[in-house]
Amino acid sequence: MPALSRADNSLLGRWWWSVDRWTLFAVSTLLGFGYLMVLSASPSVAVRIGDPRDLLIVKQITFLALAGVEIVIVSLLSPKDIRRIALVGGIVTLLLTALTLVHGVEIKGAKRWIDILGVSLQPSEFLKVFFIIVNAWLLSEQRRRPGLNGTAIALCLFAIIVLLLKAQPDVGMMALIGAIFLAQLFLNGLNLVWVAVGGALFCAGGAGSYIIFQHVRERVQDFLHPNATGAYQVHVALEAFGNGGLLGTGPGEGRIKDILPDAHADFVFAVVGEEFGLIISLLVVGIFAFIVLRGLLRLVAEHDLFTLLAAGGLLMSFGLEAFINMATALSLIPAKGMTLPFISYGGSSMLAIGLEMGMLLALTRRRHHADL
Amino acid sequence: MREHQPDPPNPGALAHRAEARAAPVRPPGTPRDGAIPRLETVRVTAPDLARRATLETSRRRLLGAAAGFTTLFAALATKLTDATILDPVKPPPAPKNTFSTVARPLPTADRPRAMMVDRNGEILAVSLPTAAVYADPRQMMDRADAVRRLQNVLPGLNGPALLAEFTAPHREFVYVAREVGPEQELRINDLGIPGVNFLPAEARHYPLGRIAAQTIGAVDIDGHGIAGLEKSQNRRLREDPNPLRLALDVRVQAVLRDEMAKALDDFQAIGAAGIVMDVHTGEVLAMVSLPDYNANDFASAVPKARFNRAATGVYEPGSAFKLQTVGMALDPGLVHVWDRFDTTHPIDIGRFVIKDYEPMDRWLYLPEIIAYSSNIGASRIALIVGKARQRAWLRKLGFFERCPIELPEAAMPLVQSDAEWSEATVMTVSFGNGIAMTPLHLINGTVALVNGGVLFAPTLLYQDPATPRPGSAVMQPDTSDTVRKLMRDVVTHGTGTFGRVPGYFVGGKTGTSQVVRSGGYRQHTNRAGFLAAFPINAPRYAFYVMLDSPHANALSQGYSTGGEISAPVVARTIARIAPMFGLLPVTDPAEKAAIERQIDLPLQPQPPPGVIALGPGHPYPPGAADAPDDLSRKRTPAASGHALAPRAPRRYASSHASDQGR
Repeated sequence: MPALSRADNSLLGRWWWSVDRWTLFAVSTLLGFGYLMVLSASPSVAVRIGDPRDLLIVKQITFLALAGVEIVIVSLLSPKDIRRIALVGGIVTLLLTALTLVHGVEIKGAKRWIDILGVSLQPSEFLKVFFIIVNAWLLSEQRRRPGLNGTAIALCLFAIIVLLLKAQPDVGMMALIGAIFLAQLFLNGLNLVWVAVGGALFCAGGAGSYIIFQHVRERVQDFLHPNATGAYQVHVALEAFGNGGLLGTGPGEGRIKDILPDAHADFVFAVVGEEFGLIISLLVVGIFAFIVLRGLLRLVAEHDLFTLLAAGGLLMSFGLEAFINMATALSLIPAKGMTLPFISYGGSSMLAIGLEMGMLLALTRRRHHADL
Repeated sequence: MREHQPDPPNPGALAHRAEARAAPVRPPGTPRDGAIPRLETVRVTAPDLARRATLETSRRRLLGAAAGFTTLFAALATKLTDATILDPVKPPPAPKNTFSTVARPLPTADRPRAMMVDRNGEILAVSLPTAAVYADPRQMMDRADAVRRLQNVLPGLNGPALLAEFTAPHREFVYVAREVGPEQELRINDLGIPGVNFLPAEARHYPLGRIAAQTIGAVDIDGHGIAGLEKSQNRRLREDPNPLRLALDVRVQAVLRDEMAKALDDFQAIGAAGIVMDVHTGEVLAMVSLPDYNANDFASAVPKARFNRAATGVYEPGSAFKLQTVGMALDPGLVHVWDRFDTTHPIDIGRFVIKDYEPMDRWLYLPEIIAYSSNIGASRIALIVGKARQRAWLRKLGFFERCPIELPEAAMPLVQSDAEWSEATVMTVSFGNGIAMTPLHLINGTVALVNGGVLFAPTLLYQDPATPRPGSAVMQPDTSDTVRKLMRDVVTHGTGTFGRVPGYFVGGKTGTSQVVRSGGYRQHTNRAGFLAAFPINAPRYAFYVMLDSPHANALSQGYSTGGEISAPVVARTIARIAPMFGLLPVTDPAEKAAIERQIDLPLQPQPPPGVIALGPGHPYPPGAADAPDDLSRKRTPAASGHALAPRAPRRYASSHASDQGR
């Protein structure tokens, strides 16, 4: 397999031998599986919303390809480059997120998207990734420069982001960023008392959303009372899993995608369960678990705090998104619109996840200490 | 390599070698003997130490995070296993595709509902096979498009409502259309919409439309009878596929309806009821209620049209009921046709004053009382009959209960209770006021009066003439003969002269009653009825036609009474239908004279020699009911000397106890 010799000192050669190839392989598998699922789940959705049958497929395959290229290119970068990109990108996406409030495209009652050159983008997806890096940098830099109060700056940043997301509103993204922020503080050695306080605040935020946002309340109610008529999606999703059984109905043979509007996005895992059955679904769960756990365990040997915090944050973001999506489809938690990385339909999230994985691979490459 | 080469002899080197041998061999890198160990001093700054400590904490916490994620993913895997194989929520089974020609039969459609035909085999109701179109929206690719395409074939579809049904959660069975003809079925099938299928169904059709619509009734969308004969004969029609033969004769039905509709239109009446019965079997040959509706469009018929006035409408019979009064008086021999009754003045009783429409101001013979329809005379006769015999007679002839006919809608008559049945009631009922019944009650009771005294349960089902229908003899045949002659007098000399039909012998009785409206009678509004039997010398058919609230006009000579409004309807009907029954007009004068002799009864018949007729001075026969006080006071002086006069007048109340026994 190694077409690249150990002695190859080119950019790609060095990349190949230093990158975490297992993770790369796992991510590639997910990309391939995403390709398979978009073929299966998108046509019926496209037909239902009146698009040409193959439009969603073509779009999504384009995004999958872009994400693949993106992963490789970003993973070629050095940690210093990553930090720079994160800083610049963070500022840009923060401004774009703010801009959604003014010039956003309203979809289903929320202004989260912005039209850039005819492409709808959700800047908060990217903002999340950049914030993880910036936050890790602030927290680790604080230790080197005693004068810098990184935590305070990070808190301010976080507060701004929360305000923006609440205005959109995007409770899911808010919760995700909040959870990752807290997890990064936790990794950074935050006093456990404060972690507990943060957890309590997080829960309070959840309760607040329940009170403030009508749709959050409905979804929690649906979760608590799955037999009510409103819990239709959740019930249909469970039916899909039941229909799939051990081996599934076969690719393209499922019917949930004809019924659920979000079958290609939030409930794509139910399509997986129905068409591919328990074994493949477990494999999908396993791949996500593998990436996250392998990444986290490898970081135990990491000497650099920034790398640890940044990569840890990226991994947990990735893992949480995957978990929330799959758990929603399985009715483990109240329905929360979260994409399943690389498998759900969606351009912004695909590119953001690609960025996330690219940065992860870049940060976890084997290197000399001096390369930091 | 060089080391092993023998060194060149060198005296100095020898000493050196010796010294080297003395010292033990030291592996490279190990300290020399006696070397002072040197500690390398590494300077570690405080922040660095802190960073290392943090790193240690971070690493521990990484393990914690990994443990957390392990838990989350394990939970996912567990739930996944549970949802797929351990405890799967099975989706409801998709209905089998019934693309084959052998479709699932509906349980109700396994056998077509039997036809209903009239007595001559004319089809009145028939079930035709149709298809019900249903859809399983789950199988559809594009529901909105499916609705659009179905609408192209079935323009009557409510598109938005259907789409709403298609998109409602958990819908797997939606009726698109219930009755679709073969052509439309084919076109829908050709649309090839997945999930759209057909069920065999049947549609009830009534080829004659309005003919006997209320009587035949209706079925609901599933083919269950919900009104009329369809309801009462539901099981029969379902279980026995042979046509159900009805007593109705659509020719008679159509003629009667036609004539009634004309009259309804001519006199702007609000409704009309008409019945023709076979007097020897109790079969109903025609039953008309106007306004009516097209039986094929029951759903959009207004309640007024669905209402069967002939069997469900309850009306005061009016003077037509006087036939019952004379019947109940003649039958026990209380009165005779030669008896005369005092109609010189109105009877004042309580709050009633019983008057005559056209007062004659003399003692009228019994035929005159019927022919001129004297209320006072009828009241005098009823007083002779008395409450107990009157009630017993009316009960015997079925006026106190629901008509036993095959119509679920048959109504109860309105009859005052025994306690309420006062002396005033005795008198008002004698001329058909203070009692209300369906036209069917009235004609059925009259049938017994003209057919020789046999009461039948009226029926809408065909009766085999080979087996005579059991009836109950409720009077002597003589009584019936007399009543027929009295009815003939009505048509020849009395109020029913418009009931005459040239060449035929019709007997009848007019009956005009006022319309009861909350608490009293409505002025200038009445119901005009005419009761007839034909041919009156040997009756075969009885007729009753009643128009509700007709407006008098020139056609009726300015009258809105039964004689002017309804009698012509009956006469025209008889003229049209008699030939259908094989009854041709009698044109031979000799034959005509013979028949007339047979049914002739002078309006003022003389008693046979030696018989003392009732009349002035002898108003009460032996066995007459106890005369009430006020009437005895009104007796003429001549009457007081009669043998019956000394009978102690007793109050009505005292006779209640013996009412049942008589």
